[in-house]
Amino acid sequence: MASNKKYWRSVEELKADSPIVESLQQKEFAEELPTDAFLGDKENLSKPSTTRRDFLKYVGFSTAAVTLAACEGPVIKSIPYVVKPDNIIPGVANYYASTMVDGTDFANILVKVREGRPIKIEPNKMAGNWGTTSARVQASVLSLYDNNRLRNPLMETKESDWKSIDKKVIETLKGLKDTDKKIVVLSGTTASPSSNKVIEDFTKAYGNVSYVVYDALSESAALDAFQEVYGVRALPDYKFENAEVIVSVGADFLGDWQGGHYSAAYAKGRKPVNGKMSKLIQFESNMSLTGANADKRIPVKPSNQVYALLNLYNAVTGNNVKSKEIAADKAVKIAAEQLKKVGKNAVVVTGIQNKEAQLIAMAINKALQSEIMDATSPRFVKAGDDKAVANLVKEMNKGKIGALLMYNVNPSYTLPNAKEFNTGLKKVKLSVTFDSSNTETALNTNIIAITPHYLEAWGDSTFQTGQYALMQPTIRPLFNTRQFEDSLLTWMDSNISYYDYIRENWTTSILNGSSWNKALEDGIFKTESKVEVSENTIDVNKAASSLLAVVNPSDFELNVYVKTTLGDGKQANNPWLQELPDPISRTSWDNYLTISAEDAKVLNFENWNVSDGALNGSRANIKVGDVTIKNVPVFIQPGQAKGSVGMAVGYGRTSGMQKEMMVGLNAFSLMQEFNPFQKVEIEKTEGEHEFACVQLQHTIMGRDEIIKETTLDDFINKPKEDWNKTPEYSLNHEEVPAERVDLWEKFDDTIGPHFNLSIDLATCTGCAACIVACHAENNVPVVGKHEIRVSRDMYWLRIDRYYTSDMTNEVAKEEGIFGSGEMFNEMMVPQENPQVAFQPVMCQHCNHAPCETVCPVAATSHGRQGQNQMIYNRCIGTRYCANNCPYKVRRFNWFKYAENSEFDFNMNNDLGRMVLNPDVVIRSRGVMEKCSMCIQKTQLSILTAKKEGRLVKDEEFQTACSSACPTGAIVFGDINDKESEVIHLIKDDRTFHLLAEVGTKPNVMYHLKVRNTEES
Amino acid sequence: MKSVIKHLKINKLTKLSFVLIFTSLLSFAQQGDYPNGKKLFNANCAACHRLDKKLIGPALSNVTEIRSLAWLKLWIKDNNALRASGDADAKAIFEEFKGMPMTPFPQLSDQDIVDILEYTKGKPKVTASTVQKINPAVARGKKIFKANCAACHKLNKKLIGPPLFKIGEIRSLEWLKLWIKDNNALRASGDADAKAIFEEYKGMPMMAFPQLSDQNIEDVVKYLNVGDVKPVATQVAVSKSDPRFDKPMVSVKVSLALTILAFLLLSLIIASTTKKRGEKSDEPSMLFTLYKNPFLRLLALIFVLLGSAYLVFAWLMQIDVNEGYQPIQPIHFSHAVHAGANKIDCQYCHSSAKHSKTSGIPSVNVCMNCHKSISEYNGELFGGYTKVELDGEIQKMYDAIGWDKENLQYKKDYKQKPIKWVRIHNLPDFAYFNHSQHVTVAGVACQKCHGPVETMDEVKQFSKLTMGWCINCHKTTEVNMKDNGYYKNIHEQLSKKYGLEKVTEAQMGGQECGKCHY
Repeated sequence: MASNKKYWRSVEELKADSPIVESLQQKEFAEELPTDAFLGDKENLSKPSTTRRDFLKYVGFSTAAVTLAACEGPVIKSIPYVVKPDNIIPGVANYYASTMVDGTDFANILVKVREGRPIKIEPNKMAGNWGTTSARVQASVLSLYDNNRLRNPLMETKESDWKSIDKKVIETLKGLKDTDKKIVVLSGTTASPSSNKVIEDFTKAYGNVSYVVYDALSESAALDAFQEVYGVRALPDYKFENAEVIVSVGADFLGDWQGGHYSAAYAKGRKPVNGKMSKLIQFESNMSLTGANADKRIPVKPSNQVYALLNLYNAVTGNNVKSKEIAADKAVKIAAEQLKKVGKNAVVVTGIQNKEAQLIAMAINKALQSEIMDATSPRFVKAGDDKAVANLVKEMNKGKIGALLMYNVNPSYTLPNAKEFNTGLKKVKLSVTFDSSNTETALNTNIIAITPHYLEAWGDSTFQTGQYALMQPTIRPLFNTRQFEDSLLTWMDSNISYYDYIRENWTTSILNGSSWNKALEDGIFKTESKVEVSENTIDVNKAASSLLAVVNPSDFELNVYVKTTLGDGKQANNPWLQELPDPISRTSWDNYLTISAEDAKVLNFENWNVSDGALNGSRANIKVGDVTIKNVPVFIQPGQAKGSVGMAVGYGRTSGMQKEMMVGLNAFSLMQEFNPFQKVEIEKTEGEHEFACVQLQHTIMGRDEIIKETTLDDFINKPKEDWNKTPEYSLNHEEVPAERVDLWEKFDDTIGPHFNLSIDLATCTGCAACIVACHAENNVPVVGKHEIRVSRDMYWLRIDRYYTSDMTNEVAKEEGIFGSGEMFNEMMVPQENPQVAFQPVMCQHCNHAPCETVCPVAATSHGRQGQNQMIYNRCIGTRYCANNCPYKVRRFNWFKYAENSEFDFNMNNDLGRMVLNPDVVIRSRGVMEKCSMCIQKTQLSILTAKKEGRLVKDEEFQTACSSACPTGAIVFGDINDKESEVIHLIKDDRTFHLLAEVGTKPNVMYHLKVRNTEES
Repeated sequence: MKSVIKHLKINKLTKLSFVLIFTSLLSFAQQGDYPNGKKLFNANCAACHRLDKKLIGPALSNVTEIRSLAWLKLWIKDNNALRASGDADAKAIFEEFKGMPMTPFPQLSDQDIVDILEYTKGKPKVTASTVQKINPAVARGKKIFKANCAACHKLNKKLIGPPLFKIGEIRSLEWLKLWIKDNNALRASGDADAKAIFEEYKGMPMMAFPQLSDQNIEDVVKYLNVGDVKPVATQVAVSKSDPRFDKPMVSVKVSLALTILAFLLLSLIIASTTKKRGEKSDEPSMLFTLYKNPFLRLLALIFVLLGSAYLVFAWLMQIDVNEGYQPIQPIHFSHAVHAGANKIDCQYCHSSAKHSKTSGIPSVNVCMNCHKSISEYNGELFGGYTKVELDGEIQKMYDAIGWDKENLQYKKDYKQKPIKWVRIHNLPDFAYFNHSQHVTVAGVACQKCHGPVETMDEVKQFSKLTMGWCINCHKTTEVNMKDNGYYKNIHEQLSKKYGLEKVTEAQMGGQECGKCHY
């Protein structure tokens, strides 16, 4: 019997026509579930947000986990050598003399090596001017640990081994022997006697070989000119230390002009001694480092630079070669008068990349009977031949080249006609790149024969006649690399290694009986040889007419320039260099179009600050010939010549690089015919660019206690109080110098060393070598573009750059707007052609430091040796100290910068971390840090002396910045040592302390800048 | 009497607690902790005293047999006061040491002193009585053998030269004398045996020993015939009986607990019995009143909170203070054997200590300087290892560097394996420490921080390595300025300016944060 029981689930069901029952029969739920409310919003779902409950769970779990994990320390292994090398003591650094040569930068250096790892580059003081280091030389040690270096050689984009590569190359090269196809070796300047000899031998071995030298930063014009006059393909040497008047037409000789390394010599003439110092007059279009240091700078657009040079020639010689009148003629005449006045101690240099222009500059020097230009000891650091390179590209496209071996060059990136080169490359049967990473050129070649970094390699060099140098490995090769020369030697069936080859070459033709070991220890070997030069006459009229024929004036002229930071882009994957702000624009991680304020107004370009103080700018499309670069950021540069724009090379690399470093745009593509002067069309586009600019186009804003300067005239003729007055306060109804008014008791600093740092603003050129040196020595992290933009840079040492303004306190008083907002707004605007002053600022190590008194946990304290000490492990990150520091030199670790994938720079990979200095701790998140006055270095010097039971010698006390400074502007020492250099500097009339009126009594002193503004 | 009877039960309890207090105090007094004493001795006394010889002060071995405990306590705490009180012994000592007083140690507790004195009695001695008597000639021979022959010969194994056990049975004594004194001459004289040996060893001649007398050689041969006599030791622990210093049965903690317990008991008794006689019984007892008092309750709460805060803090402070950390090492290397028994200088192996910030763990090639010829362990066994096991430990080193101990040469193309030691002394990254500063400049003995490593089979962390520990030493250590040219000016300035002849490390700036933290 079937049951007639009725089962019901809710009273609703008992109603016969309930709509709910109806719908429930159809569907599980009577109403639509509100799934859309929490699943419909796709955007929200993709965000990694958590609910409150989850959040609490995570917090609870992680707190418990951290607590548990903290209970037991990790087991730390300590692994000694199996067989310890004799000369290594763990914990003690060794120094090796070596040489940096990478085709762009050349320097004689010392390499600091800890436990077999090079960690710091120091200048080799024995090598004179060549022993100075620039920012790029200092940073090159990090390029050794570049994570993007290739590990194995590549053949047809696959990892291969040297055996199969050798087989393939030798086969192909031998096959080319009897054909009409050439083998071409294309390299950057080697400046190496042995390297050149290997290439010579290689040429002999195969017969059909030609050797082409290509420099991306070419000085081909100057080389051609020198060759025409003196018969040697080299560059003259300039003895700027003896010069009284230097006139430069577009030559950035404190930067990369003709191989650089002139700043030390130049600085020697810049200290006013016995009322004398040199005078520098600069005609240029972009604001260069040299222009910024010039006593008189005349902005002249590129085409007018040519006329200025010709007019200068006319004014100096009284001749009348054809030229044109320009606005700068008055300045040219004054320059000519001053040149003539000093005669043999005057010199004219030019950076115009034109053989004729170079000839005319030489002619002026001859007319002046200048002894500054020295043709008898020429330089060999540039050897590139633009014509030969252009010819090579043509021949490649015609299919005449059978094999192309490329070393230290990256033509697919640096050539203006890179496209043509790449097409030609496809027609070459065998193309080999000798490089350490997968560069733009390497991408298109058959074989990438990976080469070691210069710190892993043997080599030799001669930068200048009579000065030889050796390069030695300071670390075992990190990867499966082989030197370029070793490869060539293998491919010509020679069994000799390149090391033996160099040694033999030196013994037979260089050392002349001297000791090889001594030369290797010193790193350099000097001989007395001078080159005998025959001198041909210069046909100035002919030169001038062919020069005028190529001048191409236009509304807007582009001057492609080289930044001190990135150079030609070889080290573009080096985060230290990317983050280093350009000394002039103080902008990092970018290149941009520099334009004068007036032109910007006409073209409607703007730079403006957004609320957090960061700089934004308009964008432009620029067109040179048939090359267009889109969306170029525009940067308004005070001092830029009207009608001219500038753009730096070295940026816009796209291959063999980490993503973060692929910034900027490639300006090499604009240098048609290898000429940095180009006619350009500029057009504004939509959008804005975000700059990472650490200091805006600021002036000193009338606060002349920050940076002081005077003219040579005042310096000689007026009392000190006129140009270097110490601020005064009223004490007991009497005006006394600020340093005598004090709240605090004096420290007793008289026992043991008391360190002082002296910075001479007269010789500081703003080159930024000290910044990179500080980075390397103190494990300062790289923070990336965004962090720089939001003012979270970590530099312990910055170089402030100040422009002058038309509005001064005096002008304001006259106009009756003194102290008003209008005055300050005006003051912020730099002049059209401002004077520039550089000022390195690091922690001033105040004897009465404002930071110390506000720290709630006493994490920063004063040391008896004058150092203001910062104790990271004690710091709790209140940042009171940074707020109370009048110099703004304290840096806060907003994040953990090491081993953090958000900051994927050298501290985030095992290779990159090898560069860290083991004596300096890595700061963690949430602590303050700042310049320590290299306490690890001073402590080491003291310890060494104690161990040897002697007093410390003055030159032993060094900071990273003082030892890296190429011009000797930074001097460090002990003021309790009466013999020290720094104690003499303290007594100098030019000495002043930063913001002396604050009464902090800094241990860092400055020497004010003197400008030689005499016009007669 | 009434009251006494009334409180009879309580009296029993009181007695019990007094007994407890007494025994615990007694156990305190009797406690003599040898290891603690050793530590204290090294920290306080070792600068001037040795156990076995006179240094600045007299030798202190078994000083308790000469002086009474009470006297020693007074003397150590303040010998000047003792002398001033007219004690004859104190005066005699003062005169013996030419009026140079001993530094008083008021900071040492009675317990500390007892511990130190326990240490001066030396380790519980182990005497070994050998079964066999050793012939003096054999002993002499052994000595000569070790000095002259052992570099190339072993008794039972071929080393550079052949094994020499019972050589006297193979060769005649006369031949041996000739051979040892000048084997080249013997060979030149045409001796067949001499030539055969020369050829067997591929023309490698043995050194000549003309300095050895006939008697020497006879002794050596006698020794070689007997070989090493293994002393069969019967270990008898001899403890000297001195009732005052006998080790108590209870440890410190137990006696402390007993004391506290007893005091608690006592106070409870007192509290519960201080009710005035004759008062009404419904009035609450004093204990109850105390319990009810809000102020006392608050006070108790505060004490409990403070106490627990103190405990938590103390617990937190000991985190990562790894005093006594003794990890298991990949090789059972015994410092006691190397630095203790064989008296190898610490810096022979840890050679970086005088040059560098790290002391350096010796690389295997340093070990091989000796272990080329020492491939087995013949010393006293330790740590419960057998000889075979210890020989295996030596083998581990050979495996690392690739040494073929049979053929006495390095293996060709051997892939060397580094030894992964476990680091014992771990300073955090933010603390900079430099060994050479302490070893070379200050002349601090390794043992000052690392303890008596020469007695440790397995090394452990001896010191706390906390910042307080560093600072304390810096505060008390005086800088030796006399013998170091670096301090020439500093010393002059100091004495001129402040009239100071001696300064401590802390006064020289050794207490500034930035000197160790950068």
